[in-house]
Amino acid sequence: MKIGITKFPGTNNEQDIVRILNSLNAENELLYPRDYRKLQGFDALILAGGFSYGDYLRAGVIAARTNLIDELHDFIISEKFVLGICNGFQMLCEANYLPGVLTTNTSTRFISEWVNIKVNKTNSPLLKGLESKVMRIPIAHYEGNYYNVEESIKQLKDDSQIAFQYCNEKKVVEPMSNPNGSIANIAGIVNDKGNVLGMMPHPERASFPYLGSIDGRSIFENLIEELKC
Amino acid sequence: MFSGKAKDVQIYENNKIKLIFRDSISAFDGEKKDNLQGKGEVNCRMSAKLFEILNGYGIHTHYHSMLDNNTLICDKVEIIPVEIVCRNVTAGSFCKRYGVEQGLELSPPVIEFFYKDDELHDPLVTQDVAIQLGWMIKEEAMLMEAVTRAVNTILVELFDMVSLQLVDFKLEFGRTHDGRIIVADEISGDSMRLWDKETGEIKDKDRYRKGMGDVIQHYNDVYDKLSKLSKLPDLSLSTKAQVIVKLKQTVLDPAGEVTLRSLNRMNYQEINNARLGKHVFVNCLTAPSSELLKNLRDMSEKLFSNPLIEDYFIDLWFEEEG
Repeated sequence: MKIGITKFPGTNNEQDIVRILNSLNAENELLYPRDYRKLQGFDALILAGGFSYGDYLRAGVIAARTNLIDELHDFIISEKFVLGICNGFQMLCEANYLPGVLTTNTSTRFISEWVNIKVNKTNSPLLKGLESKVMRIPIAHYEGNYYNVEESIKQLKDDSQIAFQYCNEKKVVEPMSNPNGSIANIAGIVNDKGNVLGMMPHPERASFPYLGSIDGRSIFENLIEELKC
Repeated sequence: MFSGKAKDVQIYENNKIKLIFRDSISAFDGEKKDNLQGKGEVNCRMSAKLFEILNGYGIHTHYHSMLDNNTLICDKVEIIPVEIVCRNVTAGSFCKRYGVEQGLELSPPVIEFFYKDDELHDPLVTQDVAIQLGWMIKEEAMLMEAVTRAVNTILVELFDMVSLQLVDFKLEFGRTHDGRIIVADEISGDSMRLWDKETGEIKDKDRYRKGMGDVIQHYNDVYDKLSKLSKLPDLSLSTKAQVIVKLKQTVLDPAGEVTLRSLNRMNYQEINNARLGKHVFVNCLTAPSSELLKNLRDMSEKLFSNPLIEDYFIDLWFEEEG
């Protein structure tokens, strides 16, 4: 079992992910854009966050047009797990592996803060046992405002693909808890098969007690559990 | 199938036509007519030569091959009823229309559109009119102008090598069955003005219009000079394009909102909407063509914009280097 972690020029979250995977004794390796031929040899892929290629043009779009992300097509079809965090989520949307797009926060500010997200019922094994829990987890982004057309939002709801929603401590999804203007407070979504999860919050930054929260840890634990099966 | 003033068109195979050049010549919307022996052949040869040269520089034309001395095999197109004229130096109807003397240099060259209709005496039309009356769409007008300017750059350099000045010329364009716009009709002494650089002697159809005689001799002379060229002008054509990307009106534009508030604080109260977009400028290492425009559309949809939240507009043009 081997988990790949993408490293694009300008991303900066991969070492945090290495740290949590190592602590869970999961074999992992950084995957650079030029390594795209190696991709199919991995059992799961985590798209780490940061600012790939300076986030020029639109967040994640330049990375989304690389061979590595093109290769992801077959990887996803074969129902291997893909977790996109922050810039990784933006890449998945720009590559159309997940619906919608992350656009500029309504505040026009970079937001770095702790938020609460509610875990919804989905078919994703990555969220097993987390249903209707609240996670305390950090966000750090400028383009985290999830947008999609109304019909697609309805589709996502109907198909139980909205994985996370920004909420208050009492698990209530309300406008005041929406940090960035995302439609329906969406913080993360899964694809129809449940093997691709994209999220703006950083579970790797909420994975050790010394970080102030371990709520994000279970996503990695679930992933490793699934790979062992 | 169709017979024009100087050429016949016949259906050939595989979406191709035969373009047959006759010896007839006419001027002043058909008021003056004659038959000049050898005229069909020299114009056919001249057109084949110039189309081949243009094709070599990446200009997309209808020319396919030469069947015999009077016949070209060309792509079948729907001819756009507007001639595009490119003027490097003032002459002819331009001087009459604007009351200016002949021989003034126009830099950059002037592009004019004329509606092809003898009864109306081929009136000058604006792009707006050509679009409004359904003769072309805006994108086609933009493309035809760019292609005409690129053709001008090639022809000016080419004729310069044989000491001839390209004063002006006209191009016709056609729409292929798959919607591409390509250069059609002919390019010959009938469709351009050429002056000898040293002597100022007229080498084109003005000889016929003005009753100067020796029309075919001069047509042949131009053709012979071009035929003797051992090399072609060293040109690498490029096309400029800009793509404007803007957020759809239905999508919130936080940066635009902030800009709007700033404008209002600066007391520009009359502004009630501001949207911030992106502007991508690209230089393309090919001549302007429908294919290039299609590629730019692909780029805009796949990279420059996200169709979910943004619209884009493409502007394409040709400008001479230096």
